[in-house]
Amino acid sequence: MTDGRANLTATHPDASRPAGYAQLAKAVLYREYLVFVRYPANAIGGIVISVFFFGLLFYGGRMLAGRALTDSIEGIIVGYFLWTLSVGAYSSISNDIGSEVQWGTLERHVMTPFGFAPVAFLKGVAKVVRTFITSAVVLAVMLLVTGTTLQLNVLTVVVIAGLSIASVLGLGFAAGGVTVLYKRVGNWLNLLQFGFIVLISAPAFDVGWLRFLPLAQGSALLQRAMIDGTRLWEFPIPDLAILAGVAVGYVLLGYLVFQYATRRARRLGVLGDY
Amino acid sequence: MTQQGKCEEQGKREERPPTVESASESADDESSVAIAVEGLRKRFGSGPDAVTAVEDVSLEIEAGSVVGLLGPNGAGKTTTIKSILGMVLPDEGSVRIHGEDVYENPRAAYAHVDAMLEGARNDYWRLTVRENLRYFATIGGVDPDSVADRHATLLDKLDLAEKADEPVRSLSRGMKQKVSLASVLASDADVVFLDEPTLGLDVESSLTLRRELRRIVAERNLTVVVSSHDMDVIEDVCDRVVIMRDGRVIADDTVSALRGRFDAQGYRITSPDFDADLLAELRDRFEVADVEYLGEQTRVEVATDSDGFYALMDYLRRHDVTLDAVETVEADLEDVFVELTGGEA
Repeated sequence: MTDGRANLTATHPDASRPAGYAQLAKAVLYREYLVFVRYPANAIGGIVISVFFFGLLFYGGRMLAGRALTDSIEGIIVGYFLWTLSVGAYSSISNDIGSEVQWGTLERHVMTPFGFAPVAFLKGVAKVVRTFITSAVVLAVMLLVTGTTLQLNVLTVVVIAGLSIASVLGLGFAAGGVTVLYKRVGNWLNLLQFGFIVLISAPAFDVGWLRFLPLAQGSALLQRAMIDGTRLWEFPIPDLAILAGVAVGYVLLGYLVFQYATRRARRLGVLGDY
Repeated sequence: MTQQGKCEEQGKREERPPTVESASESADDESSVAIAVEGLRKRFGSGPDAVTAVEDVSLEIEAGSVVGLLGPNGAGKTTTIKSILGMVLPDEGSVRIHGEDVYENPRAAYAHVDAMLEGARNDYWRLTVRENLRYFATIGGVDPDSVADRHATLLDKLDLAEKADEPVRSLSRGMKQKVSLASVLASDADVVFLDEPTLGLDVESSLTLRRELRRIVAERNLTVVVSSHDMDVIEDVCDRVVIMRDGRVIADDTVSALRGRFDAQGYRITSPDFDADLLAELRDRFEVADVEYLGEQTRVEVATDSDGFYALMDYLRRHDVTLDAVETVEADLEDVFVELTGGEA
């Protein structure tokens, strides 16, 4: 497939220059940044709701389970942190695709000489970066409220958590594809978020095949990193390879589902119809 | 276009005034064709409920020309446009944009194309006007810094300069429509599809947009396909009109040639000699469509063809009617459209 961007500038007199992938990345990330800082209510609302539910979980659980909950609070915080990351990444990408369909901007991203794949990937990265920022705030509040300390090696946490939620991003793309085809199904797809709790708490180290589900391996490694202080380079290579493989695999799978769904939508003539 | 349609249109097509590009590059037909559609066919559904949206549509659109796509609701305009853009995959047929196959090599084809689709925002309302232009220039493959001057001119010409740094959501509907158009023109796309570009605009904004569209088309040698229900827009900006009905192209010609296919619809006679008796007799013998009293003068519109015109002149001469003015009432594009499509909306 030819990259068409080079064909353009010769036909126009005012010496325009073709944009590269770096400029594409800058444009997509900058748009996300502008929306984030200009309309902070969504992000703040998400943080408040996350903290509120954690407060319910923590204080309610302490009343009911007492010391048992306090003993396992570190694991709960790490799991909750990963859940907020997952929900943020999943819902933002699936909802974003739904919104783009509604606004008529999806077609313009499909009609780009860059190809839709890099644009969609960069949009996903932008959502992950944004979600990291809001979830970091939630994590800080959780640590303050519970008086807990965790091992926060930034490189280890970012790499493991990033690869963990990459698999969820893949699910988000798949859900976005379903939205392109069937339109108003966002609320049903959002129910999937509660399934993330099961995946995060899955005993990946005890039941081997669970490692290949989204989030399970990442959750187990993140617990070790943030509670036991295991650094990235101290994990066995096979564990990291599975984490990376699952991340890449689900992103590819999600993108393929999205591609299939958009192709079917084009066949049915419903791409962009809302 | 069907084979029959092609034969019908061939003679008329040759009368079409050459576009800038086709005149200068007539020796190189291939390079002068911006859009080449061949045998496009699309059915939705299957079995007895299947609907044929587009049936054997073939078109060639020269670079630098503005083509209007008209048709009643359900004629297949939107499916045709979306098929050309690759947003709908046809059952049969091919589409090339500046020689690039839209289905086989979409990225190369998309380097030339942008579209403003009906009923959609087409841009981000939470970004400012200028941010939208920069964003969609980049998505369109152009470094926005390198076209900053072009963006400034575009904003100025579309009366958006004062609102350039305001979020689109805070603008009026008409302004939003103009932002949508500006964002489509923000990149280097030289083939632009505009679906109902003046929808929701007041008269003044519509005129501004049409004027600027003509100017930009001339300056940038744009190829534009306009779909609109507003015949004034089509007549005003288009070199050529393609009319569709039931998924087929039923006419493809210049506006003047289409109008010329129909006899004059009538004649307007202005005279001081029309009294009540004469008018009554005139009504008995001819189809008087309208009578207008202009002080000393009376203007009578008679619906008739050219044969009837001679009879009318003979009649007026016999009655010693002094003719101050005689005007031909010609079919406008709307009349042509109604005639060709059988009056469907």
